[in-house]
Amino acid sequence: MNNSAAKKATKKNLKTLTKNGRTRKIRSARRIAKYGAINFGRNIWLSTAATLVMTITLVILSVTFVASVVLSETATAMRDKIDITLFFKPGTGKETLEVLKQVITKEPNVKSVETRTSEEEYENFLKENADNELLIETLEDPSMDMRSVMISTMQATMRLKVYDTDNLDPIKNIVASDINFVKNLDETEEPTYDVNQAEIATITRWANIATTGGIALSAIFIVISILVIFNTIRMAIFSRREEIYMEKLVGADSYFIRGPFLVEAQLSGIVSGVLASTICFFGFRFIEPRLSSYGINVSTVANILNSNKLVLVILAMIFAGGLIGSISARLAIQKYLRNPSK
Amino acid sequence: MILLDHVTKIYPGDKKPALDDVTLHIEPNEFVFLIGKSGAGKSTLMKMITKEEDPDSGKIIIGGIDLDYIKRRHIPHYRRRLGVVFQDFKLLPRRTVYENVAFALEIAGMSTREIRHTVPKVLELVGLTEQANKFPSQLSGGQQQRVSIARSVARQPKILIADEPTGNLDKLTSAEIISLLQKINDFGTTVLVTTHEEAIVNNLDKRVITLKNGRIVADQKTHGIYKLDGDPEVIIDNSPKAPGFALKGDQIISSTAKPKTKSSKTATPKKSRVKRKVA
Repeated sequence: MNNSAAKKATKKNLKTLTKNGRTRKIRSARRIAKYGAINFGRNIWLSTAATLVMTITLVILSVTFVASVVLSETATAMRDKIDITLFFKPGTGKETLEVLKQVITKEPNVKSVETRTSEEEYENFLKENADNELLIETLEDPSMDMRSVMISTMQATMRLKVYDTDNLDPIKNIVASDINFVKNLDETEEPTYDVNQAEIATITRWANIATTGGIALSAIFIVISILVIFNTIRMAIFSRREEIYMEKLVGADSYFIRGPFLVEAQLSGIVSGVLASTICFFGFRFIEPRLSSYGINVSTVANILNSNKLVLVILAMIFAGGLIGSISARLAIQKYLRNPSK
Repeated sequence: MILLDHVTKIYPGDKKPALDDVTLHIEPNEFVFLIGKSGAGKSTLMKMITKEEDPDSGKIIIGGIDLDYIKRRHIPHYRRRLGVVFQDFKLLPRRTVYENVAFALEIAGMSTREIRHTVPKVLELVGLTEQANKFPSQLSGGQQQRVSIARSVARQPKILIADEPTGNLDKLTSAEIISLLQKINDFGTTVLVTTHEEAIVNNLDKRVITLKNGRIVADQKTHGIYKLDGDPEVIIDNSPKAPGFALKGDQIISSTAKPKTKSSKTATPKKSRVKRKVA
């Protein structure tokens, strides 16, 4: 037989061989699922080991996630505590303060601006000292007219919150150079950004460490966890490489060999997702009052667990478990599909 | 059915070829023994046929398929056309006898109904109906090999290759396995069996191809006694009067005399061409 004839005959024969109908694919998918489930039960020790490792991994990932949320909230709360107060001459009117507010709001680093006239400052002072009856009585005594005295001496104020506490120079420039600010600022009291400089720097540093540390820890734990799972599944597949070899020799397609392993890994992932969700839910319930007693804000996480979103969290855990399992199994089996005898 | 044309294979790092310019042609429905000592190239030849290994040169055509033109993705489809039996059975340890046989049909996309119909019949053929729900570890070596044979013939392949199928079995069980292979051959399947057990070859009147150091040194119908142990030299006597094989040294064979073994009594009669049907 010459080459072209052989090639033609081979092509014809292969065409007949590789007929791969839809029915066959559906049957194969069903069988893959069936064998995956059967293997999960028959390799119960390996399945249990893989499931436990995956459960621990998911718990670590969840704890890392919760920790990073708490850290992030804490950092935000710390940042929110930072404000810059500008003091204006007593009697500065509301209109003037509104003009000043419009000027300073143009600076992109300004997050929010709150202004108070001398009257408002006085009202606020009364509110803050409502418990001090003697002081209130004295101040409100009509015969002494302390109210007018206080208002005439109290400065109007502007409280700024900023996005970036490391970048206050543009605000300082406006305050120092804008004619409206220069005209109305009370020279007897400096803006607090100079006074709070050290505190601002410290708080900013800790907030940054908390955020960066949370992200870094999450990344490290995710990488370690995936490596551990990958290794566990690889060991499980390594112990069954002979099976893979046999199946290849009998004529099984790669997807038919790979499929049950993926289903097994996904089952491990699903079971571990449920286990990890349960552990995390009750673990958080246990630790929540203790964290709150230290003043750590865990309200976001608590709100999620107390709402319908809990179902989404459990589904996400199951999905994450299944996904990590599938990826690990796919990577681990690839080597043996390529070189089954190795 | 099986055609090898000047096939040579040298494994990386080896100086001598595992197969050296091997040419052979096996007709449909033939029963052929491939004999030779360890390292003669039998397993390499089998691996070529199953497309586990590719030749360095030469051409292999199996069942009308030129293996040169088979792409990686076609290999599983090609292998499903072959029945393969191994010395170490290569059964799936975590599947029952029934599932092992069914597996060969499932990968071919056969329906569950067809599988339920076929598997019991194949198990009946190999005498393992009672063992259907057992796992391979619960079976004897002979039974495991029967499962392996059942799996390989379940798809009714046109070609069955058996690599040392009796290598791990006692003599009685070996005879049973060979008898089973003969039965399968009677159904119309081309059977190629590698072995280094002379008793098996001598008991049957079948074509025997002898490999030595990667080369075919003999290809004849059996007419004598093969002795592969020790260091025999299998040669071909091409003289018209003595068309059979002869051995050098102490192990002498008669190229004309019938072997004095029970094979002469039990030699298989000319096989009847039975319609290719497993049941």
